[in-house]
Amino acid sequence: MSTTVLLPAAVAFAGMLLPLPWLVVAPNRLLPGTSISALATLGALLPVVALLTLAALPRRVPAPAAACSALAAAVLLAGLTGQAAAQALQGLAAAARAGVGFGFWAALVGSLGLCAARGASLGALGRLLLLLTVAASFALLLASGALHSLSLLVEYRVRAEAVQAAILQHLVLSGAALMAALLLAVPLAWAAFRQPRLAAPIGAVFATVQVVPALALFALLIPLLAALLASFPALRELGLAAIGPAPAVMATAAYLALPLFRSLLGGLASADPDAVAAARAIGMTEARLTAEIRVPLAMPVFAGGLRVAVVQSIGLMTLGGLVGAGGLGALVFEGLAQFATDLMLLGALPIVALALAADTAIGAAEQRA
Amino acid sequence: MIAFENVHVRFGTAEALSGITMMIEAGELCALVGPSGSGKTTLLRLVNRLVAPSRGRVFVRGEDVARLDPAKLRQSIGYAMQSVGLFPHRTVAENIATVPRLRGWNAPRIAARTAELMALLHLDRSLAGRLPRALSGGQAQRVGLARALAADPDILLMDEPFGAVDPITRRELRTELRRIHQATGKTIVLVTHDPDEALELGTQLVVLRGGRVVAAGPAASLIAPGADAFARQLLGGTQPGLRRFALLPAAASVVPEAPPQGAPELPAEASLADALSLMAESGATVLACAGGSLHAEAVLRQA
Repeated sequence: MSTTVLLPAAVAFAGMLLPLPWLVVAPNRLLPGTSISALATLGALLPVVALLTLAALPRRVPAPAAACSALAAAVLLAGLTGQAAAQALQGLAAAARAGVGFGFWAALVGSLGLCAARGASLGALGRLLLLLTVAASFALLLASGALHSLSLLVEYRVRAEAVQAAILQHLVLSGAALMAALLLAVPLAWAAFRQPRLAAPIGAVFATVQVVPALALFALLIPLLAALLASFPALRELGLAAIGPAPAVMATAAYLALPLFRSLLGGLASADPDAVAAARAIGMTEARLTAEIRVPLAMPVFAGGLRVAVVQSIGLMTLGGLVGAGGLGALVFEGLAQFATDLMLLGALPIVALALAADTAIGAAEQRA
Repeated sequence: MIAFENVHVRFGTAEALSGITMMIEAGELCALVGPSGSGKTTLLRLVNRLVAPSRGRVFVRGEDVARLDPAKLRQSIGYAMQSVGLFPHRTVAENIATVPRLRGWNAPRIAARTAELMALLHLDRSLAGRLPRALSGGQAQRVGLARALAADPDILLMDEPFGAVDPITRRELRTELRRIHQATGKTIVLVTHDPDEALELGTQLVVLRGGRVVAAGPAASLIAPGADAFARQLLGGTQPGLRRFALLPAAASVVPEAPPQGAPELPAEASLADALSLMAESGATVLACAGGSLHAEAVLRQA
């Protein structure tokens, strides 16, 4: 059995069997609560979940069956925990909350990881079907109201509009940062390709940015932009402000420039020199040569850099919450300030989901091309 | 067709070509031969302006190439090289169709021409949709040659086109090239460092050394006694007499008299070297050939 299967299984069993907090019942959303273990929460059904997880392990179990078994374990875990939360809250004040603890997260991530590990051996269509099944199962679970009492969902119901707006805003900000970074990296990569002695200094500047802690760069841009706006008040008319989206987009773009620049330059340089020589010898102009030979041959290398940049953009934009840009980071930092774990998770979980989705989508597009 | 007028080419401080003046007539298959560094590839690349002369002028079809648009000029001249340089992201058919597409041919005309060229170069139709990485070395060379011929150029430049393939494929491709040259009457300039290839293919040979032309003319004349010593050594090796005999037809020395009884039969298209070989093998001094007789004295008189 490979580690890709054993590792998630071990995490899942650790979550279920070790005495970790599974369900945490607290008098309100801010106060710490009392923890209940997995066994106390799930009772006699815990062995069933454990058996479903175990059934996904042996190699002689066919991959589709194994993946579905692990998925069933995950869905059952979540549903039963939701029910247990509803029971635990009965008779308590309306402000009382029942949240999931570390043990639950470990078991959920472990069993879903196991599902993914066994599903990885399926074909492209099989993997897509599995992904749809996972999404549909959890959508149904949410729609059934089984999870209704979990504090994360209670928090979401209170903040639904703010969370949805933050997701959209986060995507717009990340997209803007990616665009800005492309506008910077594409011409510079082309310049460095035509003038190879420029490659080292440009690369060094972008690499230096990576060394600066992201938090410091975001904060540094505020006084810099303020000084700029003081010297050129006309910029204010264009909508530029020292706090808000401008510093967040600029700082994030600065970090994305390196992977984009490096992958573009590497891609352009990777074009087979014989193919370029032949194209020139049979009468392609430089412009056509670039459009028809260099750029298509650069795409596989560039896609790798773009993938890194997109994921980085979604992740780094979280810090935008600190400089007034909004986005999901604003929820995370508000949660941190209030010690409200559920609010932090409401911000953090969509960031993880967006980053994973973007990575998967670009990866799939890369394979098709 | 192609003319060089006192052409010099300088790369930095090194002079690659010095004072080249020569003509390549239409329909010739001109082999440029010489050791590496002799300037043969540079001379070839002057024709389609991949290299610009530092002095002198190059004329193609009577026009000074310096006055022509380089992209248009190159599209009008086929180019094939040792490393082939097929476009790895394009199929065989798309590779072949490159120049017709650059010249704006319509799709049916391109498709017809591509099919025609694949047939001409004995490329199986099933290869049309393949990517170059799925081709053998010999197939890739054929596709490269098809791409060079695609827009039916009247001039074809070839830079050691058969250098990277195995000896059997090389022999096949040489035969193919000679067939194409005879069938189409194109002007072909071929760079090679292989004297055998130059002798076999070239209707005209140009021997280069250190950026200068040391000898030019039909193959046999360059190995004849009294020809330039370097050219004779390069092309003739240690047996220049036999090499030259291999290029001369035996039929020209046949006298119209009945051959003696039992004289060995020499095929009508055989060379003088074939005649000598048959004599050495059979011990006969008279051979039967094309209804006449070939005497050993007549063969040796050609020396």
